[in-house]
Amino acid sequence: MNLLSFLVPVFALAFAPLLGGVINRTKAFVAGRVGPPVLQAYYDLARLLRKGAVYSRTTSWVFRAGPVVGLAAVLAATALVPFGGFSAPLAFNGDLVLLAYLFGLMRFFTVIAAMDTGSSFEGMGASREVTFALLAEPALFLGLAAIARKTQSLSLSTMFPDAWLSSGIVLALIAAALMVIVLAENSRIPVDDPDTHLELTMIHEVMVLDHSGPDFAFILYGAALKLWVLSALVVGIALPHSGNLWADTSAALAAMFVLAVLVGVVESCMARLRLVRVPRLLAGAGVLAALALLLVFEGF
Amino acid sequence: MNPLTDMLLVFLILTTFKLLASGRLRACVRAVAAQGVALGLLTLAMHQGALSLHIVTLACGSMALKGLVFPWVLSRALREAKVQREVEPYVSYTLSILSGLVALSVSLWIGSRLHLPPESFSKLVFPSALFTVLAGLFVIVARRTAVMQVLGFLVLENGIYTFGVGRVGDMPFLVELGVLLDLFVAVFVMGITIYHINREFDHIDTDRLDSLKG
Amino acid sequence: MLGALVALPVMWAAAGWRLRSARRVLDWVCAGVCAQSALCLLVVALGGPDGAPPAVAGWLFLDALSTYHLMVLMAVYLLSSFGARGFFAHEIEVGTFALPLARLFAALWMASLAAMTLVLLSNNLGLMWVGMEATTLLTAFLIYVHRTPRALEAMWKYLLICSVGIAFAFMGTLLVAAAATKGLGMVGEALLWTRLREGAANLDATTMKAAFIFLLVGYGTKAGLAPLHNWLPDAHSQAPAPVSAIFSGFMLNASLYCLMRYVPLVEGSTGHSGWALDLLRLIGVVSILVAAAFILFQHDLKRLLAYHSVEHLGVIAVGLGLGGLGTFAALFHTLNHSLCKTLGFLCAGRLGQIYGTHDMTAMTGTVRRARLWGWGLLLSFLALIGAAPFAIFMSELLMLKAAIDARALAVLVLFLLGTATVFVGALRHAIAMAWGSHDGPASARTATAVDGVVVSACVAILVLLGLWMPQPLLRTIEAAARIIGGHE
Repeated sequence: MNLLSFLVPVFALAFAPLLGGVINRTKAFVAGRVGPPVLQAYYDLARLLRKGAVYSRTTSWVFRAGPVVGLAAVLAATALVPFGGFSAPLAFNGDLVLLAYLFGLMRFFTVIAAMDTGSSFEGMGASREVTFALLAEPALFLGLAAIARKTQSLSLSTMFPDAWLSSGIVLALIAAALMVIVLAENSRIPVDDPDTHLELTMIHEVMVLDHSGPDFAFILYGAALKLWVLSALVVGIALPHSGNLWADTSAALAAMFVLAVLVGVVESCMARLRLVRVPRLLAGAGVLAALALLLVFEGF
Repeated sequence: MNPLTDMLLVFLILTTFKLLASGRLRACVRAVAAQGVALGLLTLAMHQGALSLHIVTLACGSMALKGLVFPWVLSRALREAKVQREVEPYVSYTLSILSGLVALSVSLWIGSRLHLPPESFSKLVFPSALFTVLAGLFVIVARRTAVMQVLGFLVLENGIYTFGVGRVGDMPFLVELGVLLDLFVAVFVMGITIYHINREFDHIDTDRLDSLKG
Repeated sequence: MLGALVALPVMWAAAGWRLRSARRVLDWVCAGVCAQSALCLLVVALGGPDGAPPAVAGWLFLDALSTYHLMVLMAVYLLSSFGARGFFAHEIEVGTFALPLARLFAALWMASLAAMTLVLLSNNLGLMWVGMEATTLLTAFLIYVHRTPRALEAMWKYLLICSVGIAFAFMGTLLVAAAATKGLGMVGEALLWTRLREGAANLDATTMKAAFIFLLVGYGTKAGLAPLHNWLPDAHSQAPAPVSAIFSGFMLNASLYCLMRYVPLVEGSTGHSGWALDLLRLIGVVSILVAAAFILFQHDLKRLLAYHSVEHLGVIAVGLGLGGLGTFAALFHTLNHSLCKTLGFLCAGRLGQIYGTHDMTAMTGTVRRARLWGWGLLLSFLALIGAAPFAIFMSELLMLKAAIDARALAVLVLFLLGTATVFVGALRHAIAMAWGSHDGPASARTATAVDGVVVSACVAILVLLGLWMPQPLLRTIEAAARIIGGHE
């Protein structure tokens, strides 16, 4: 556990909200607008933390616990994923499984907090979120399994620097699958539209409708961190490692923002898929990851 | 193992998955066209030794045929029939994708068990060929629109062709030409038939062509 | 010289494009087929009993097997062409067979003849495949001559199923080529049958077995062997009668011919273990039983005849699978069945025109209403079900003897079961059609002399072959059987 490896979560905590800002700015640019400032997410967080929360009388402790546990889970996740040339501070064998289940924990608490409100909108969002997560998990696991098999290691911090041992095809397939996961898990188009104000079309947004003040700040920050962590996975695969620590890290930081721009472009060019079509997209991502795993077994 | 060959074979597999997953007929036609072009490039990539004129003409001919002529014939048929999407297929798309994955795993397993010579080409040749053949058959059986059945047939032929390119070094030029000609005429005739079916029945849903029984 | 056999029909068709009336087009077709037959006889006579040596860079050749099939092809085409002339004469009068349709028909008819000849003459297995695929594509539109919705449906089914089958046959051909490249070191000549037969023992057995399975499925689809026969009843029932005649009369046999070419190769590579023959027997027996089951419940005359085709192709497959005398019987059966089917379909077609329908419950009293065609149909049915003294009875008897000799008792029992069921089922229909009561007047149109010649020629040959086999024919069939058995 290198002391310098604590820089990894520091980067995440500092820069995560910036990703959302870059995405929004990109979308505005493509649409010909000026758009919100890049640091808007920080302003929002500051504003929300200053406010007080309003709690519905029909909710219980679960509603209050949801955002807190979610943020805690994703904070733990930031300590598992390597970044740039640094390995993660809490790396151990099998941490990729813990990563997936930390996200699962976050999702579970968000869902039960949503259902705790007793509103039908939140319940609808919860059921959609859980269904799509069910279909997205195999893709995530298969993609990580492919790299794990190739590099013969079970820790993310040892997998990623060596990921480039696989052939380009395998890496391209896994990167494509993980990109779809990034879009799906973070409620981006084509799975969910983050800018919609129609509750019936929402998936993630609608689950957190009733949170306010610091709770909502935790949720926003948690979502930003989740985006950062998953993007770090994609960047870890796509970017080669030169061995020079600082060059790798600055390249990785730059790549994160390039990825944010890419997400923004994708969001601008596509429309949200019909909800019945989303399983097909996620199954397709799963198949790409499975194909990568099969190719790795064949010795690619 | 030639990396170009591997890339082309994976591209072949991906286009086959695209055909299995999509219900948009024009996108499927484009996917099969891309597959045809990839196969032409594969012929060139897998040819050992110097590139002779006959190999180049054959590859370019098949690329032109599969990449330009066939999509044109099928797009015309689609335009006449005014069909955009596949009618409710017998097997849903998600299930089709998963079946494709099972077929791919089976093909890889069989490929590893069968010790077919020569191994100088990619290890992926036989599995991807077998997978494409199985996927083509699946599409013919599981889809209802006549155009999709033609696409399934084309994909079946592509799979067999991949196998041929991998296993048999040199087929006589005239035979290859004959095969291409046959394929061309087959697709042409099928296109004309679809046109007639549309004119006669006002649909190209083969599930509804069921008056002949027994 | 051999190339001329393939080129002549095509050129003849092209030359006939300028004719001005449908009737003349049909006459031109008949003349063309006569010319082709004459050319065939010339080539065969020049080649002697062993056939002409390989020509055109060794890709075309003629041996006893192909000579025999060539004779059958020309016989079927001659009879069908003259039958077509009479059949379409009625349609020309009614006005449903206009000149453009006639030209298309003539072109496709002659081109199919050329393609089938190409299949028979190929030494190159790839070229043989190209020819088979060509026959599929060319005959597809012949089904659609009567522009009805059902014909279109039948055509689509035929096109798709047979194309997929042929694709499988191509896979089999590739596997054979792969085996040849590896085992015999041939590269450019990988697909020459004569070379492959010489070196059959050096071919890898597993690859050849896999190849044979693909080939059996592929060419079996085209031949109409169950369970791949689904296109057959539809295509035969919806196509006009002369087209059905050449389908049943020759095209199915052409596919089995292709399989016959592969049998000695597979047998040679597997050390004459009989593996390929067992598969043939199995698929043959299945075809017979499936066809028998369907024959019992038919009410469309042409579909009934189509299922008969499935049954008889099964019989031929069983004969091939029995080997020795069975091969001889199978080849003899090929000739008999082709003649019988041609006769049957031509009569069925004309009766359909007279009665206006092919429904057997409506077609009653045929021998009284239309003497020539009614008797022709009845006799063809009797021959098809294997009644003595027709030729099919002889060939089936020979096959039974072969089964007993080979101790294939299961095959024997199932064969008898199937054919007995067919006997009863078809005879029931045939008698009802021949002598039921009929309401309409006797047919106003009398059959022409040409029609009479066609029908009586068929019947006469069938009776003749049932009683006595001429020596040249016997020698040719024996030589052909030896080729399949791998003893030449």
